Amino acid sequence: MSDGSEVDFDVIVVGAGIAGCVTAFQLAQQGRSVVLIERGEAPGSKNLSGGVLYCRGMEKVFPDFLDEAPVERRVTRNYINFLNAESSVGIDYKDARLAGPVNAVTVLRAKLDPWLAEKCEEAGVFIMPSVRVDHVITQDGGTGKRVVGVQAGEDQLRAHVVVAADGVNSFIAQEVGLRTKPPLNHLATGVKCVVNLPRETIESRFNLTGDEGAAFAVVGDCTQGVGGGGFMYTNTDSISVGVVLRLDDLTAKEKVATEVFNHFLSHPFIAPYLGGGEVAEYGCHLVAEGGMAMVGEIAMDGLVVVGDAAGLTLNTGLTVRGMDLAVASAVAAATGIGSALDQMDTSKVGLAGYREAFFASPAGQDMLTYAKAPGFLEIERMYQDYGELFGNVLYGAFNLDDKPREHLVKVALKAFKKSPVKIRHLISDGLAGVRAL
Amino acid sequence: MTANTWIVVAGDPAIGNLIETARALGGQVTAAVVGPRAVADTIAAGGVDQVVWLGDPGQAPVEAYALAVADAVGAAEGAVLGASRPGDRVLLGAVAARLQAAVLTDASSVSADGDGLVVTHTIYGGIAEETVRVAGQVALVLDGGPVPAASGAAPVTEVAAVPLGITVVETNASAFEQVDLGAAARVVGIGRGLRTQGDLAMIEALAGASKAEVGCSRPVAEGLNWLGKDRYIGVSGQHIAPELYFAIGISGQLQHMVGVRGAKTIVAINSDPNALVFKDADFGLVGDLYQIVPALTEALK
Amino acid sequence: MKIVVAYKWAPNPQDASVGVDGIVDWSRAKSGISEYDPVAIELARRLADATGGEVIGLTAGPTRVDASLARKAALSRGFDRAVIVADDALEGAGTTELAAVLAAAVRHIGEVDLVITGDSSVDVGARMVPAVLAGQLGWPAVAEVTAVSGQAGLLRVERDIAGGTQILEISGPAVLAASTNAAVPRIPGMRDILAAGKKPVETLEVASLDVPARGTTVTVTDTSGPDLKARKHQMIDTSDPAAAAAELVIALRGAGVL
Repeated sequence: MSDGSEVDFDVIVVGAGIAGCVTAFQLAQQGRSVVLIERGEAPGSKNLSGGVLYCRGMEKVFPDFLDEAPVERRVTRNYINFLNAESSVGIDYKDARLAGPVNAVTVLRAKLDPWLAEKCEEAGVFIMPSVRVDHVITQDGGTGKRVVGVQAGEDQLRAHVVVAADGVNSFIAQEVGLRTKPPLNHLATGVKCVVNLPRETIESRFNLTGDEGAAFAVVGDCTQGVGGGGFMYTNTDSISVGVVLRLDDLTAKEKVATEVFNHFLSHPFIAPYLGGGEVAEYGCHLVAEGGMAMVGEIAMDGLVVVGDAAGLTLNTGLTVRGMDLAVASAVAAATGIGSALDQMDTSKVGLAGYREAFFASPAGQDMLTYAKAPGFLEIERMYQDYGELFGNVLYGAFNLDDKPREHLVKVALKAFKKSPVKIRHLISDGLAGVRAL
Repeated sequence: MTANTWIVVAGDPAIGNLIETARALGGQVTAAVVGPRAVADTIAAGGVDQVVWLGDPGQAPVEAYALAVADAVGAAEGAVLGASRPGDRVLLGAVAARLQAAVLTDASSVSADGDGLVVTHTIYGGIAEETVRVAGQVALVLDGGPVPAASGAAPVTEVAAVPLGITVVETNASAFEQVDLGAAARVVGIGRGLRTQGDLAMIEALAGASKAEVGCSRPVAEGLNWLGKDRYIGVSGQHIAPELYFAIGISGQLQHMVGVRGAKTIVAINSDPNALVFKDADFGLVGDLYQIVPALTEALK
Repeated sequence: MKIVVAYKWAPNPQDASVGVDGIVDWSRAKSGISEYDPVAIELARRLADATGGEVIGLTAGPTRVDASLARKAALSRGFDRAVIVADDALEGAGTTELAAVLAAAVRHIGEVDLVITGDSSVDVGARMVPAVLAGQLGWPAVAEVTAVSGQAGLLRVERDIAGGTQILEISGPAVLAASTNAAVPRIPGMRDILAAGKKPVETLEVASLDVPARGTTVTVTDTSGPDLKARKHQMIDTSDPAAAAAELVIALRGAGVL
């Protein structure tokens, strides 16, 4: 079904983040006419610092990605840590196998997004910065409303398909009714900053050589009992560090995000890594945490939703994934849109190839696998009690004071007695964890 | 051999600072003056060695004499100075073009060094300072300073000057009262924290009680047009160094604060405890200006 | 009527970071159309629309001033076409050098009736390029311009002076610097940006223009952060405004400034 009226472009993509740029790039490569609209003065200006990009998907889109793109470090060391007020228990995992082939790199969005936009332009995408789309244009079709274009100020642009890549708070997805405002327990606030340090300092503190990198995932006291976690990633000559805090829990525990953030940065485990550094960038950003529960409809007549706007983020407890899911959804969207345009059917049915392609992809499969993860991470005990428990057990083992040594089992049972965690919790949490992760 | 220094004057004799700077470079100091005879005489008495007077522009604005000034300065070898005012900049620009001279602004110190000049000046709107050595022709834009006191009697040579084709057809007075903020010992600056134009009365009351002039940040003068542009303090407005400056409802961005860096004491009043302005203040009061300003006015009575 | 608007593509010093040694790091600062230039473009557009004339954008700088984003940003604001002198030889060029290149470009465009510029550039802010440019061209220059009307050969210019305004008549080409608030510039819409992609752009290198050799050498011998007075940073508790006011007055009297 073709709508017959004139279009300015085959596809309008709103939002030049990762999902928007990759969708636009692939469609342009197919030979479609694409306009990429961005409300910031330049792509990347509205995105905060960066993070870990699981890059296998991006490498399929840009074969020389690791060499050409402005990536920071290649993550070869992963650190998972339970942080208590006075102790920390961690698993320090370093693996040469993670260096070849590289599957995770740290990136800074202020560098990556402009590079992606440049690739888009080279491929023939028309980049339109400094334009804020006010709403999509719809008309009544046979099966309900159909999206036919976008409006910004007094101007309208029309296309066969509009791609909503406008981020976690996507007003387009809400405007067309594909998403209602997400419930608070699916939303978190990320507070992060970038601390500048000479690369030699970073390499010696984190035990890295060359462009190796480290990624820290931290739970426990670092978030003062608020659901979420802390993170720390090494860039070439800076460290990205911050906390992600569940909005509903933040309110319930009556904490202020910036205070929790400051507490994390000054924790005796974290602070030494940042000592002497200069804070270059600081800010807050909404983060979607909801997993599959947050993903509703991602297509309708004339419109698809990709990336954060579609709720495609995943917190597995050990890894936080958003950027690679954005890439995967973009690739799937380009495939689905491509075939819809070829069939001249850009209705929801015609665009169904997108959803199919996404959930068939490895990333989409992961979303289904980890469907239960948010529920698991909502269990309070993860954030406070287990950390303390492990800390106390290990204290019993390592504190060689002037009393005779006790058997480790006895130490553990004693610690258990003191802890609010009960055996039945261990069992049910253990099962829940196994099922979820 | 020390080169001679030229000063260009566009009708306003307030060039005391230029004369002082020129004198310190050694060599002869010659002023090329466009304006009424009285201006030429004031400058001739003000400490220069010679005045070249291009005449009274009459119906033409001073800008009409830009090329004539460049002719009069001719193949000067030393520095050429001009005041930081619209008309003076135009005259200086014509001279700089004729001489292919480098242009430097916002100099805090100028000295001769062999056959060159060493100039320290702020750059990029005041974020940094650099010292440069200039070999060759240079045009310096400086704060004019006061009208020079009589201290001598240099000869005034009148030269014929052919003006460019501009004439003044009409002149209208401004609705705003004129002010010379640079001459004020105390200034009260108001920013976007002020909600309505009517609230200016409260600020004026404080200014009256503290015997201060009223100044403002750019949006209040240019955007809102609540005060005349000669009251706008900032990077492209007035640069002042009063004894006391009140920054009220002003966030403290660089573009404004660079205009009051020289103030002896700065008091900041702002409701935002994280406002930048507190970093540049001697005394800071976090609170509602609508309460603090009247209280301050009262306390000063 | 041919109207040239000389604009600048430059970063805002607010986004630059300055080390303690005074070295300015522009790497995190993004370039944009210098903040007062759109005012000049608006004045030019109004005059061109009234007289059936043409507005030509002109800029000179390193090759990045010809980047796609830069072209779009400029051409979407009201130019009919643009002439861009993009040459890395202009990296770090000063006022006089840029004015010389702009003058040569104006002569290259030929039969220009009027050049309008912004009040000052966002990064350097010297307010001298219009004056030096006019000197290079042998034309009159007027700053603080709030309105311009008339036709080629007889321009009517309104400008601010201390204490009021003046209306001038100029009988020939001139360089006008628009006052900072002469007009509220239009915000480019999607159609403007789309159209920008189709407007003609002529790119030039400095070597192809007749530019006089650089006369002076300026060598930087030292850099430092701005010379700022050390401030007391004394905070006064304002829970009781009257008490705070009294405390402040005492402190100011003590400092000898009241």
